[in-house]
Amino acid sequence: MKRWRYLLGKISWSLFTILFVIILNFFLFRILPGDPARAGVRDPRLTKENIEAIRVRYGLDKPIINCFESLNPIKIGSCAVNPLDTQFFIYIGNLLQGDMMISFHTNRPVTEMLSERLWNTIILIGAGQILAIVFGVLFGMFSAWKARTAIDYGSLTLSLVAWSIPTFWLGVILLFWGSNNGMPIAGMSTPGMSSYPLLSQWGDIARHMLLPTLTYTIVYMGEYMLIMRSSLLDVLSEDYILTAKAKGLGVFQILKDHAIKNAMLPLVTIIAINLGFTVGGVIQIETVFSWPGLGMTIVEALNRRDFPVLQGAFLLIAVSVIVANLLADLAYSYLDPRVKAE
Amino acid sequence: MEAQIKTTVPDTSRFQDFWGIFRKNYMGLVGLIMLFIAIFVAVFAPILSPYDPSSTQDVTTSDIYNAPSTSHWLGTDDAGQDVLTNFIFGARVSLTIGFFAAFISLAIGGVLGIVAGFYGGRTEELLMRFTDIMLVIPDLPLMMVIIALTKPSIFNIIIVIGALYWTTTARVVRSQTLAVKSRKFVLRARAIGAGKGHIIRHHILPLVLPILVVQAVLVVSSAVLAESTLSFLGLGDPTALSWGQMLNYAFGRGAMSTGAWWALVVPGFGIVWVVLGLTLLGQGLEQVLNPRLDTHHLMPSRPTVKSEAAQRSSEKSLLEVKNLSINYINEGKQPARAVENISFALKKGELIGLVGESGCGKTTLMLGLLRLLPAAGQIVNGQVYFKDQEITALSDDELNKIRWNGVSIVFQGAMNALNPVRTVGDQIAETIIKHLPDFPKEKIPARVSELLELVGIAAEHKDHYAHQYSGGMRQRAMIAMALACDPEVVIADEPTTALDVMIQAQILELLDDLRKKLGLAIIFVTHDLGVVAEMCDRVLVMYGGVTAEYAEVDAIYNAPKHPYTQELLKAFPDLTKPKKKLSSIPGYPPRLDALPDGCRFAPRCPAAFARCHTEQPILHELSSTHIVSCHLVEASK
Repeated sequence: MKRWRYLLGKISWSLFTILFVIILNFFLFRILPGDPARAGVRDPRLTKENIEAIRVRYGLDKPIINCFESLNPIKIGSCAVNPLDTQFFIYIGNLLQGDMMISFHTNRPVTEMLSERLWNTIILIGAGQILAIVFGVLFGMFSAWKARTAIDYGSLTLSLVAWSIPTFWLGVILLFWGSNNGMPIAGMSTPGMSSYPLLSQWGDIARHMLLPTLTYTIVYMGEYMLIMRSSLLDVLSEDYILTAKAKGLGVFQILKDHAIKNAMLPLVTIIAINLGFTVGGVIQIETVFSWPGLGMTIVEALNRRDFPVLQGAFLLIAVSVIVANLLADLAYSYLDPRVKAE
Repeated sequence: MEAQIKTTVPDTSRFQDFWGIFRKNYMGLVGLIMLFIAIFVAVFAPILSPYDPSSTQDVTTSDIYNAPSTSHWLGTDDAGQDVLTNFIFGARVSLTIGFFAAFISLAIGGVLGIVAGFYGGRTEELLMRFTDIMLVIPDLPLMMVIIALTKPSIFNIIIVIGALYWTTTARVVRSQTLAVKSRKFVLRARAIGAGKGHIIRHHILPLVLPILVVQAVLVVSSAVLAESTLSFLGLGDPTALSWGQMLNYAFGRGAMSTGAWWALVVPGFGIVWVVLGLTLLGQGLEQVLNPRLDTHHLMPSRPTVKSEAAQRSSEKSLLEVKNLSINYINEGKQPARAVENISFALKKGELIGLVGESGCGKTTLMLGLLRLLPAAGQIVNGQVYFKDQEITALSDDELNKIRWNGVSIVFQGAMNALNPVRTVGDQIAETIIKHLPDFPKEKIPARVSELLELVGIAAEHKDHYAHQYSGGMRQRAMIAMALACDPEVVIADEPTTALDVMIQAQILELLDDLRKKLGLAIIFVTHDLGVVAEMCDRVLVMYGGVTAEYAEVDAIYNAPKHPYTQELLKAFPDLTKPKKKLSSIPGYPPRLDALPDGCRFAPRCPAAFARCHTEQPILHELSSTHIVSCHLVEASK
C-alpha cells in the first residue's frame, strides 16, 4: 500500500516537473529578446506584410496570455480574451495533440523531424551507456577490492583524467585518428548503402557507430568507475560483509551475493541524475561525428535560428530525461526492499 | 569496533593544522600546483608568449596551418597565427569565465542552501523542490537555447553558466547548514536571543565555508568545461579567443583535413590541464575535510607471525587459545598492542565469560580467533587450536570450512550484521548450502523455519528483511543463523547490549538452554559481569588487552584477586547486600597506542604502588584454575 503511495508521489512529481519545463519552454522563447518570427527569418527583402503574414501563420499575432498582449508587463492587454485563443493555451493544446509547429527552415512539422532523429540518439546513448556502465562497474569493483594498491591508484588516476577530458575534444581526437586509419568520419551510414543486403547495411552502421560510442564510453566510464568504487568501499566495510566472511564464504561469493547488488543501488540513482548531463555529452558527440540525432538537430537549428525546432528539441530532451529519471526511481523501488516496505 | 585506532578530525578553522594535513595529500597538492601554473600562465601571458596576439600584419596564406618549427613551437592556426601565443592568452579567457561564473553560482547556491537549511519548513520545501527541478533539466541544451536567443558574449556566458550551475552547491550547503544548526553553540546562541542574521554570520557561515571552498573548486572546473563546450559549438564570444573557441575554429576550418593536429591537440590540452588540476584539488580537499579510511573487510589480512607452538593442556579441549597476541599496525607509528598473551581453553558444553570495559581488546580477541581481523590487525604470537587443527596455520580454504561450521559468531548489534537487501531466511539457508552440501535442498526451507522457531521467531518471518524485524528479533535471527550448521562453538559478542531488559533475559535464557540441549560451547563476550554470573563456568577478565584474572566463576565472584575484578564487581548491584553502595571506576582504559610502562591498570588502580608503574606483572598461577596478573598476589604469596 505504502509502495503505491510512493510510486504515485514520484509520478505526480514528474508530471509537475514536465509542466514546469513546458511553461519554461514557452516563456523562454518569448521573454528573450527578438521576436521569434523576425529572428528566424532575418531577410531584408521581407516586407511588413510578409512579416505580418508569417506572424499570423505561426500564431504570433494572438495575445500571449490573458491580460498580456506581449511579455512587456507595462503594456497590459485585454483580459476579456477567450483563454483558448491565446498563444499559451494554443501551444499547450497543440502539444497535447503532438503538434510542435512547423520548422522555419524545412517547412516540415517539427514533431516529424524530431521523431526521425530520436531513435538515432537513443541507439547511441544506449550503446554508450551500456558499455560505460559495464566497464565502469567492473573497474570500480576491481579498484575497491584492491583498495590502496598500485592497481587502485592507477585506475583512480585514469578515471580522473577521463573525467577531465572535454567530450567534444576526445571526439575530435578520435575522429582525427580514425580519419587517418580508414574509419568513416561522418554520419550514420555510407551513401548508397541502401542497395546492399541488410546485413552489410547494419555492418556499415556499426562501423559508423564505433568511434562515437567509444568517445561516450571513455568519458562516462571514469565517472561510473569512481562512483562504483566508493559505493563498494562503503558496502565492503559494512558489518554484514564481516558476517559473510565469518560464515566461511569465499571472496568471490561475498562479492557476488552480498556486495555488488548493495553497491549498485546508489548507482541506479546516480545514473538517473546524470542523464541530464549525459545529454550534454551526446550533443557534443553528435556534432563532432555528424551523427544525425537530436543533438545535431539542436545545433543545426541553432545555427539556422530555427526556433520551432530548437524549442521542440529542447522540450523533447528535457521530458525524456524526466521520464528516464522516473523510470530509474521505479527501478530503484523495485530493487531495494527497504523502499517497498517503508 | 572497539579496537579501532582513532583518527583525529582536523580542526579546519586553524589554517596551519589544515595545511599540515593537506600537504601530505599528494592528489590535492598536485592539483594545487597544476592550478597555480595555469594561473601563472594567464597572469603573465604577455611576457610568456612569443608573439603579440593582436598583430595580424605580415600574415599570408602560406602561414596557415604551419607545422611546429623553431619560429612557431606549436605551429600556426587557420589564421596563420602562432598557436602557442593564442594558447597562452586563451588561458586568460577560459579562467576568467570559469572563476566569475563559479562566483555567481556559489553565491546563489550558498544563499539558497543556507536559507533553506536555516529557516526550514515551507521555505526549505519550496527551495529544495525548485532545486530538484533545476537538477533534472539538462543544462547544456538550456544554456545553448538561452545564449542563442540572446547574444554570445563573455558577459552572457558568465551569467548563464552562473545561473545554472548552483544546484549541487545549494544541496550540499543545505545539508551542512542542517548539521550545524543543531549543534550546541548555535542552540545556545538562539536561546540567549541572538538575531538570525548574527547566527548565520557568526556561527553557521564559518562552518559552511570549508564545504563552500570544495564546491568552489568543483564548480570552477565545471564552468571551464561548460564555456569550452559552448564555444566549441559556436556559441562562444567571437571576440575572445578561449581554448574552446580555438578548437571551434580549427575544427570548423579544415584543421582535420589539413592534418594540422597541433591546432586540435594544444587547446584541448589546456582544458584538460585546468579541469584535471581543479578535480585533483577538489578530491584532495574533500579527503582532508572528510577523512575516510579506505579499508574494508575483504582486504588481505596481514600474515600471521609464526611462533613456537606452546604445549597444549593435557585434557583435550574443543577450543584452546595459547599465548595469543594481536597488534594493530599503523604505518609510521608504534604498533598498537591490542591483545597480549591471552590463553584459555573451552570444553564441550562449557560457557566462558569474556569480561572487560569497552576498549579492552575483547572484540579483537574474538575476531582474531577466526582470523577475521581488519586489515591493520596482525596475529604476532601464539596459537588457536580448534580440535586438532591450528587455526593460525591454516590456508584460507581450510579456515573457511571451520568458520560457521565449527565455530560461529553472534555479532553485536545485529542491525548491520544482516544484509539489508536479502531476506533473513535466505541468509540462513546460505550457510547450510555452503557448509552442508549433502543436506537435501528441498528440506532447507523447513530447516530454516525450524531454526527461527527455535529462537522464538514465527516461521513466516523468514521471507522478511532485516528492517522489518525489531532489534530483539534481529539478535535472535542472528543466533538462529549462528546455529544453522550445528557448530560446536558459538562466540557471542555482546549479544544483549542495546536491548531492553526483558529481551536481554530471554536471549540469555535461550543461549543457556541451547547449551544444555545441544552441548554447545559458548564464549560470551560482555562488559557486564552481572549478566554472566549465573551461566558461566569460567570468566576471563581482560584489561587493556591483557588477562587481568582468569578463574572459575565462584572464585571471580567470591574471591577476586585482581583489583580490576574487584572494582568491576563493585559497579554491579548485589541482591544479597542491598545497602551496599555502587561505585564506578574513575578514568578510562588506556589507549592501545599509548600503553603505560608498568601494569596497564596501574593509573586507575586504588591499590597501586611504585612497582606497578614501572614493571608489568607476569601471570601468576594461584592454582591450576586461577590466574592473576598483579604484583599484589606475589607479595601475599
